[in-house]
Amino acid sequence: MTPLRRLIAFWRNLWRREHLDRDLNDELRTAFDSLVDDHVRAGLSREEAQRAAALEFGPIESVKDRVRDARAGASLDILRLDLRYAARLLRRSPLFTTVATLSLAVGIAATTTIFTVGNGLLFRAPSGVQDPDTLVDIFRAEEGVPMGNFTSSYPYFLDVQRSATSLSGVFAYELEPRPITIGSADGTEVAFANLVSPNYFTVLGVRSAAGRLFTAADDSTSEESIAVLSCRFWQRRFNGDRAIVGATIQVNRYPFTVVGIADEQFHGVNLLSPEVWLPMSAIAVVQPGTRRLTNRALLDLGMGGRLKVETSRSQAAAELDQIARQIEAAYPTEEHGIRLRVGRLSSIPGALTTVATGLFMLLLAVVSTVLIIACANVSGVLLARAALRRREMAVRIAIGAGRRRLIQQLLTETMLLAVLGGATGLAVARAATSLLLAALPPFPVPIDISVPLDRHVVAFAVLVSGIAAGLAGLAPALHASRADIIVALKDESQGSSDRQRLRSAFVVAQVAFSCVLVVIAVLLVQALQRIAATQDFDPHGVEVTSIDLATAGYAAGGTFARDLVDRLRAHSAVESATLAQWMPGRGGTDVAVTVPGVTPPVGESSFLGTANAIDSDFFRTLRVQLRAGRDFNASDTADGEPVTIISATTARYLWPNQEAVGRYITWHERRGGTTDIVTMLRVVGVAPDLKSPFGRPRRRATPRDAAPTTDVRPAAAPPVLMMYVPLRQRFTPRFSILARARGEQPVGQEIRRLVKAMDINLPMMTPQPLDADTGPVYLQIRVAASVAGAVGLIGLVLAAMGVYGVAAYSTQSRTREIGVRLALGAQQADIVRMVLHHGMTLVTAGAAVGLALALAGGQLLSSRLAGVEPFSATAFSIVAALFLSVGLAACYLPARHATQIDAMEALRYE
Amino acid sequence: MKDTRTALLQGTLDLLILKALSTGELHGLGVSRRIEQMTGGTFAPQPGSLFPALHRLEEAGWLESSWDASENNRRAKFYKLTRAGRRQLGEETEAWQRIAMAMTRALEA
Repeated sequence: MTPLRRLIAFWRNLWRREHLDRDLNDELRTAFDSLVDDHVRAGLSREEAQRAAALEFGPIESVKDRVRDARAGASLDILRLDLRYAARLLRRSPLFTTVATLSLAVGIAATTTIFTVGNGLLFRAPSGVQDPDTLVDIFRAEEGVPMGNFTSSYPYFLDVQRSATSLSGVFAYELEPRPITIGSADGTEVAFANLVSPNYFTVLGVRSAAGRLFTAADDSTSEESIAVLSCRFWQRRFNGDRAIVGATIQVNRYPFTVVGIADEQFHGVNLLSPEVWLPMSAIAVVQPGTRRLTNRALLDLGMGGRLKVETSRSQAAAELDQIARQIEAAYPTEEHGIRLRVGRLSSIPGALTTVATGLFMLLLAVVSTVLIIACANVSGVLLARAALRRREMAVRIAIGAGRRRLIQQLLTETMLLAVLGGATGLAVARAATSLLLAALPPFPVPIDISVPLDRHVVAFAVLVSGIAAGLAGLAPALHASRADIIVALKDESQGSSDRQRLRSAFVVAQVAFSCVLVVIAVLLVQALQRIAATQDFDPHGVEVTSIDLATAGYAAGGTFARDLVDRLRAHSAVESATLAQWMPGRGGTDVAVTVPGVTPPVGESSFLGTANAIDSDFFRTLRVQLRAGRDFNASDTADGEPVTIISATTARYLWPNQEAVGRYITWHERRGGTTDIVTMLRVVGVAPDLKSPFGRPRRRATPRDAAPTTDVRPAAAPPVLMMYVPLRQRFTPRFSILARARGEQPVGQEIRRLVKAMDINLPMMTPQPLDADTGPVYLQIRVAASVAGAVGLIGLVLAAMGVYGVAAYSTQSRTREIGVRLALGAQQADIVRMVLHHGMTLVTAGAAVGLALALAGGQLLSSRLAGVEPFSATAFSIVAALFLSVGLAACYLPARHATQIDAMEALRYE
Repeated sequence: MKDTRTALLQGTLDLLILKALSTGELHGLGVSRRIEQMTGGTFAPQPGSLFPALHRLEEAGWLESSWDASENNRRAKFYKLTRAGRRQLGEETEAWQRIAMAMTRALEA
């Protein structure tokens, strides 16, 4: 029987109790019958014989019980013995124990950390709601657009709410809480409010901590404006004063009655946790003049619902799909190709869940390789130890220990290691998780990321430890128990080549895995550098925030804006400051322009332009040199001549090889009615292109675009004409404030303080560094790069340990050979070469396999992450050099050790 | 004599079982009969203590078992010594002899 079969049989016995019980039953039955036969033979009648036998046997069930107890007791005794023996062995070789435990701890910690975060973000239902399992997330999908808009408009929500029968309720909420001012007797401050449909709380089943929450009756027709506060905000702002319920507060200077406080556990349905909830009808106050309640194009609502009893998510999905098609039939242009999807209601809304899950799986796969590397490492060390324990094993087999017992013993040892590693890993994971969360960039909105170390995480860690023990322990255990008694007892140095080969394979695998990870990390870092390089401006040191003067009740606000930017510029910590309608690289407002002397594209009467209204010093703050002309200045006032600065591409397209400064561009507007207002703008400057590396190509939303055209198009479609206009000439009340710090100290707080000093009631986003605002793809790559890099380097260290182990072991087992060689006159250099040759063969093989895998991995990665190149000669050669040098370093110590072998000593040894 | 029979020490029973099986494989009742025969009827282990002991020894790896037909053609479980069991028998015999000798000497003195 092979050891594997034995192992299987062992487990089968363990799990198939009933089988054992049937055997026991048969055994006792036979024994009883034989006893009866004995008595009959001795002359008793069958009845008497049976009675006598029963008397002798005692109650059969109690015999069975005692047998079972005896068996279990024996198993436990053995386990205790094995554990004690294993503990003693581990204590006796602390270095081995530490290395193995740490290896496993690193692997387990890495996987558990990622799992903890994923568990917290993806699989955790919102807290403070009733029966979260029957809650669903409803989001839109555009047919044929993989990552289209998933949010809904209010009219669309009403359509869905009206038609859905598989759901007991459908609610809607603004995906992002918006800043508002909350004023009361003791001052005004900014808070984040979430506009929700009136049935929001009822469908979610949120309890109130005080007062009442909204009900379906609180619809748009109700006279009074009402608000619900979050428990946290209530505690912080109003010290948990119950008198606030029923009192009036000012929301954006408009009176609202606080009807209640939401339950302490409830923080909204996603990561962003609102401080105040307002019914959707409050939009008139929060954003005056919006047509949000009627406009089908305003897509910023999330939807959710509760399944009716006995209704499955797929049933609801099927019904919602039908509803989406009906809505499409009713509004063929507005809702063209819109479908509805249903998912679990989790911390990450809508279609983003898919992206996040993908990223999570990718990360988990990456960190799993660390675990595999760690297991290979432990396996390798165990194999080396097995070599040292061959005599012990052989002796134990010789005196009659079964292989099953040996395997059991060895697995117990590995299990103990895994338990130690798992416990350490869990502790490390806990620390790593909080570190990870602390390293997150600041969010402008209060967020609720709780990634608890709950039972799922603990279960995961236990599972992973078990798998690790199995992975790391099985091969060495099977191998060790196959020890050839005769060979092992007779001679030390033979019969180990098989084991050596296995161990070498592990080292090759380790090197290969960590090589893949490091290459990927380098590719990702290169992508990041490329992004930074393509960023035509220097975001580092610039802090940005945005304010909306319209919601704060400023009729115009031009004076306020001028005052604000002047004060900022006067501040000693600020090098330069500016205002901008749009953030750099984010495009601008679509406008129609014509250019005297330049013909628009075929079939169109004008060019598509995009305009960004900026204050002076915009380019200086971004450290961008104008190519030609001048910046806006104090003379470009509303009464002055309309001017513009255009991008280099625009200039090149409109006036190739000619001076652009001094020419004119015509801006066409339709204000209110149909009259075309025409403004002539004189070009005063040419600025470099400020591309956003991940900006989605702008789609031209003209209906003509959708119709198939047969006419011949020009080879290159004209670029979208980028124009900057002075904020003073085209003022918008909603703008961003950008300020560059003079030193290293960020100036975000200064901006905040200045704005507060000017108007305490002005809602403002928390200032953020501009380089944090480089978009989700950038963040995604940055996270992936740091994880792959960290993991790859950990892997490299583990692999180096593996290489060292193999080289050291091979030197040790060849002591005699080396001694002979030295005695015969070999040079030290020869010995070094010999040892290095062995170690470096493994490293080279591993690196080669790793680079080949990385080639495939790079392809996969670049297809998933925009901006990543599949192959880079630099990356590959850097990594190859890194691994070879680490390999050399790992072999160096054993090699040096080998040269110091005393030939006489080595020969005398046996 | 009944008293001695019931007061059989566990260690003694284990040793007797190992000894009984040292000449070949036996089923449970066979072990009991062999012990009775070996000890001249002094010890006859009852099923209530015999079977638990057999299973304990099997679990400890000293005995192994297989199913076979008994003398009157019943399906019976046969036990035999493993190598570890044989070694255990040797060790325990030695230990027992030391104890017995010491006891005899002490009681005769």
